[in-house]
Amino acid sequence: MRTQELVIVGSPNVGKSVIFNLLTKRYVTVSNYPGTTVEVMRGKARIEENEFEIVDTPGMYSLCPITEEERVSRSILLREKARIVLQVIDAKNLERMLSLTLQLIEAGLPLVLDLNFMDEAEKLGMKIDIVSLEAKIGIPVVATVATQGIGISLLKRRLVQYSKRGARSIKYDRIIDSSIEQLEDLLKREYPISRRSIVTLLLQGDPEIESLVRLKEGDNYPFIKKILQEIRKQYSHPMNYVLGLYRQKQASQIADLVVLPSSSGKVGPGERLSRWMMNPFTGLPIALLVLFGLYEFVGVLGAQISVDFLEIIVFGGYINPFVTEIVRRIIPWLFLQNLFVGEYGIITLGIRYAIAIILPIVATFFLAFSVIEDTGYLPRLAMFVDRFFKKIGLNGRAVIPIVLGFGCDTMATITTRTLETKRERIIASFLLALAIPCSAQLGVILALLAGKPKSFAIWAGVVALVFFLIGYLASRLLPGERPLFYMDVPPLRWPKLSNILSKTYTRVEWYFKEILPIFVLASILIWAGKITGLFDLVIRGLGPLVQAIGLPDEVAPVFLYGFFRRDFGAAGLFDLTRGGGLSGVQLVVAVVTLTLFIPCIAQLSITIKERGLKTGLVMVAFIFPFAFLVGFLLNLAFNLLGVKL
Amino acid sequence: MKCSLCGLEFKEEEGASHCRGCPLARSCLLVRCPGCGYEVPLEPKFLKSFKKWRKKINETKR
Repeated sequence: MRTQELVIVGSPNVGKSVIFNLLTKRYVTVSNYPGTTVEVMRGKARIEENEFEIVDTPGMYSLCPITEEERVSRSILLREKARIVLQVIDAKNLERMLSLTLQLIEAGLPLVLDLNFMDEAEKLGMKIDIVSLEAKIGIPVVATVATQGIGISLLKRRLVQYSKRGARSIKYDRIIDSSIEQLEDLLKREYPISRRSIVTLLLQGDPEIESLVRLKEGDNYPFIKKILQEIRKQYSHPMNYVLGLYRQKQASQIADLVVLPSSSGKVGPGERLSRWMMNPFTGLPIALLVLFGLYEFVGVLGAQISVDFLEIIVFGGYINPFVTEIVRRIIPWLFLQNLFVGEYGIITLGIRYAIAIILPIVATFFLAFSVIEDTGYLPRLAMFVDRFFKKIGLNGRAVIPIVLGFGCDTMATITTRTLETKRERIIASFLLALAIPCSAQLGVILALLAGKPKSFAIWAGVVALVFFLIGYLASRLLPGERPLFYMDVPPLRWPKLSNILSKTYTRVEWYFKEILPIFVLASILIWAGKITGLFDLVIRGLGPLVQAIGLPDEVAPVFLYGFFRRDFGAAGLFDLTRGGGLSGVQLVVAVVTLTLFIPCIAQLSITIKERGLKTGLVMVAFIFPFAFLVGFLLNLAFNLLGVKL
Repeated sequence: MKCSLCGLEFKEEEGASHCRGCPLARSCLLVRCPGCGYEVPLEPKFLKSFKKWRKKINETKR
């Protein structure tokens, strides 16, 4: 008996692997797809006397790939000529996921559609007319709840009985449809997917398909390329955006016809809240409320209660005097004593900053953040801000690195490599370096401005304004494509105490392990800089800039600390403020300037690695004077308006 | 593991495979979601052992 190949495809997190496991109970192998590090699972199954080899592909959102995983999944579809392609989708997100279904149908693939998570869709009040959906798109459709094995027998039967029939094809506008027909006629060779699909991928500028067509069509290719360029010229938006819109529009039309109103007609409170969080009008007050809650929690519990206890009582009362006494007794040389204790000592500066200032603030911040994370608010926030990001040309997947930047800007800069266009990668890296404070810096800033809601609002307003203004200008300077944004939104849930505690502990441990050696190293470097005179030289160089924005000379070292690590600088400012070194106005000016100041060493080195030395240096050359310019203008505005904070 | 951003369930190894090329990967205690890139810190060993032990106790009670 001949073994038939069955390829399972679909977006991430739709239950493909569960279906794969239910179908293949034996001979499963996992191996890297050739030439990549992406793992692909293969297994064998016997369904009603039929032998199948089943391939579980990595998640894909579109037939035009962006990530390596999508590239692998597309390669499998192109090269392995499957007898059946089973697309698994999350029934809750039917409207969005049908877009890929339409692309697979357009490619002429032998498709069966599995609507998984039907139970969750029903809980949300969705009732999907499977028979009608099947008639509308012209392929077999099965409903399952894979985790409970519901619908799997029917799925098996439909797979065995599968025979290809005429399916619905996507309709674009007149220009595109006639151009596709013209180009289809020009393609003379055989392709693994339909010529129509090859043409649409060519229109979208898919480099792999371009190479394939160039190789196969030979002398014919320059003519095809010329027609493609002429079609693109007729549209103000990139073709993947235009074609994506048509697909999504038709997917929405189909979904409107097959999703029936629920019997009760009511939307549950969870779903209602979820919609409010993503709505452009209600989403903003909710986001501000969450930020305010975070500010109050970190400010009061972290900055006031915990820091007071650790810094004043533990370090000020016991550790510092004890260690200073011991060091002075053991080490007779003042310069060596200063390495451990004194103004910039490892213990009295580095370790005190790490344990007495950063640790309590960051721990309370992570605790609050874990609660927010566990409720499922973050993906909704990403969907909400995506709308505003589109306005500044920073859309699509760029939301993810920007949101990640609030965790760690260095890591987020690495994530920008998943963005589709060079333009988006540059804008996202630039904004991360300029206006996104990392979690630790944000925590300390919230603590610094605790009890001063007006100052906090000014800081947040100025940084947000800079983010959107600079993002907008950067997108105008770097015109280019605008990819679409796809993201799964899991249901809202009540946070679990065990999850919150576990996540907080894990994050604090990770963070502490990372910062402690860096803080100690920074203290040593400052000590060495003091001995060689280099430190004073840099501080003297920063002096006029600091004075120009209305701050005392004592703030200059804070900027140098900030270059070692963003949170180290913020901790320095926190220390200075607690000593009464800054007025309310000076504090806001200092916090805004420090937030916008050049990225820390780690982020800068990654930015240079990812975007190249020239781009990295251009960013620094812009950010350094720009941060002080904003500080200067803010101070000027405060003085002119006579603002007192 | 479950991604806190997109809800994708994945194995630690799947997350780690996305870190190749990162200069911080060797000493890093974060795992990146293969779906959306969101990073989650690795759970400490003692917490994993504690959870396993609690699960075992619960199963024994049943």
